[in-house]
Amino acid sequence: MNMLVLVKQVPDPEALVEIASSGKDLNIEPKFAVNLFDEFALEEAIRIRERHGGKVKAISLGGPKAIEALRTAIAMGADEAMLIEDEAFAASDGYNVALALSKAIEKETFDIVLAGRQAIDADRGEVPQMVAQFLGLPHVGVVVKLDISDGKAVAESSLEGAKEVVEVALPAVFTAQKGLNEPRVPLITGVMKAMKVQIPKVAVEDLGLTRDMAAPENSKTKTVGYLPPKKRPAVQLIPGEAREAAAEAVRILVDVERVI
Amino acid sequence: MDFAFTEEQQFFKKIITDTVDRMVVPKAREIDEKDEFPWELWKDFTKLGYLGLRYPEEIGGMNADPVTAMIFYEQIARGSVGFAQSVIMNILMGTYFVYRFGSQAIRERCLFPAMKGEKVATMCFTEDQSGSDLSATRTTAVKEGSEWVINGTKMWITNGPVADFATVLATTDLSLGAKGLNFFLVEKGTPGFSPGQVLDKLGCRGTVTGELVFDNVRIPEENLLGAELNKGIEYLGEILDEVRVMTGAMAMGIAQAAYDEGLEYARKRIAFGKPIGNYQLIRAKFADMATEMEASRLLIYSAAWKMKEKLPSRIEAAMAKMFATETCCKVVDEVTRIWGANAFANEYNPQRHFRDARFLLYGGGTHEILKDFMGRLLIGK
Repeated sequence: MNMLVLVKQVPDPEALVEIASSGKDLNIEPKFAVNLFDEFALEEAIRIRERHGGKVKAISLGGPKAIEALRTAIAMGADEAMLIEDEAFAASDGYNVALALSKAIEKETFDIVLAGRQAIDADRGEVPQMVAQFLGLPHVGVVVKLDISDGKAVAESSLEGAKEVVEVALPAVFTAQKGLNEPRVPLITGVMKAMKVQIPKVAVEDLGLTRDMAAPENSKTKTVGYLPPKKRPAVQLIPGEAREAAAEAVRILVDVERVI
Repeated sequence: MDFAFTEEQQFFKKIITDTVDRMVVPKAREIDEKDEFPWELWKDFTKLGYLGLRYPEEIGGMNADPVTAMIFYEQIARGSVGFAQSVIMNILMGTYFVYRFGSQAIRERCLFPAMKGEKVATMCFTEDQSGSDLSATRTTAVKEGSEWVINGTKMWITNGPVADFATVLATTDLSLGAKGLNFFLVEKGTPGFSPGQVLDKLGCRGTVTGELVFDNVRIPEENLLGAELNKGIEYLGEILDEVRVMTGAMAMGIAQAAYDEGLEYARKRIAFGKPIGNYQLIRAKFADMATEMEASRLLIYSAAWKMKEKLPSRIEAAMAKMFATETCCKVVDEVTRIWGANAFANEYNPQRHFRDARFLLYGGGTHEILKDFMGRLLIGK
């Protein structure tokens, strides 16, 4: 059973993010982390390998710093890793990212592609589905349970208020949701391996793509600008007895704020 | 000059930071409140393999260089200095002489299990009348036939009450002062070896610290941890710099934990309609804290780099320990001022950092002793 895991390096959840004065870019403090949902994907791939054998290979698209995310994958237990090194492609839209990843995946032998359900930076949740589309593979999203046997997978996806159970033939693409597993803390043996490993890098040209495809004018979607979130209004204290105050709170939530 | 960590060291820092955030930080408050050896965390954390940090890969270690080791010491102390002290005792002081001089049988019985966290190690220097002044050590070791007989009482022993084995500093001749000192291995269960009073400490709680009593403890000849008799002080020199710089690194761990708490509070706490971090006097505190922490780290990591390159580092190690620890004490103090009265409440962390920082003033050598030592080196006798 060979697994490919798509790993994205994202800004650390605690990094400071500000909108640039132009309104068209973000200034992000250079602190990085592996995308949380990709850690679920990695953990699941490692667990599948522990049960069924095979190999886990982590693939990332990004700048040179993304090597760190791939080292983390190795430290956790991935057997191999590969970086598609191209900052322009990585910063491009989901279509280009998925195209580059799918070109790399085409060259691999695999049964399962796993990825996080979304990256916690842009939160679009679109790349793995497009990868599946480019590769002509089935896709099951938001997976919270994954059982593999006899060349097929039974995946449980979480829906609003329910769970959906899907059977799919392999190879297939799955996206991991919180709840699928608890990612392991790397052992020092993994950390040492990760510190020493030479992670191969490929260029987009090696995948039959050209750099100009990632140019803003050639992207399918364009980011027009960034707007700051609305300032949160001050806390509103509702006076009166608990029963009346609760009724008033519900009235505000339903009629004024319309959130429930 | 290149001040940057290598790519590998940066990666190691990231991993150990994440590991500490996940495993240690959430337990820090409970460790402090309970003030008991945190066995559950010890078991979970030590199985990751970090206790072999400084030992060769051939015996299951990581062979980390001193710079990488300092990264580890700093981060683990950032999580919980109470836990860090126990961990570092197993990594460094409690096992070094067993590694360096222990027979294969001793290594198998003590070192290898200690590297896996299956045994708890300690090292005993301090006595009720001697600490930094090791030449005043009163614990004696007398040769009787093929055995050594140890007598004395040790105080302030990190991990002492739970230790499975101890490296004990004892003199073979009270009249020789520092030149009569040696290290001996004493294992739990040896008749006459028993834990005494457990100390109730202001800070670094969770590291159980206490008295160890040696009452006619008989140990075999091979438990003398040294190639030659009466060279203990010389052998101690092999890890002295690392112990001092490590103490500075732990101080930076505490300082960083406090600083982060201060930063979060300064951004969130509103006074007169705006976050207190918008006021110049609060901003000045952060400028000062960050500057002195940066200076401390430069001292720590440059001393560690010298150790790695096998360059002389004795005075630099003392400087790093002293400056980083004094900085830590300033930072934890400033953070309590930023937090105002909330820092005085036990439900928040700044008071814990404030208490923890104090211990590092004495551990690894008091600054009064270190200043005298440095002054002597700088001016000459």
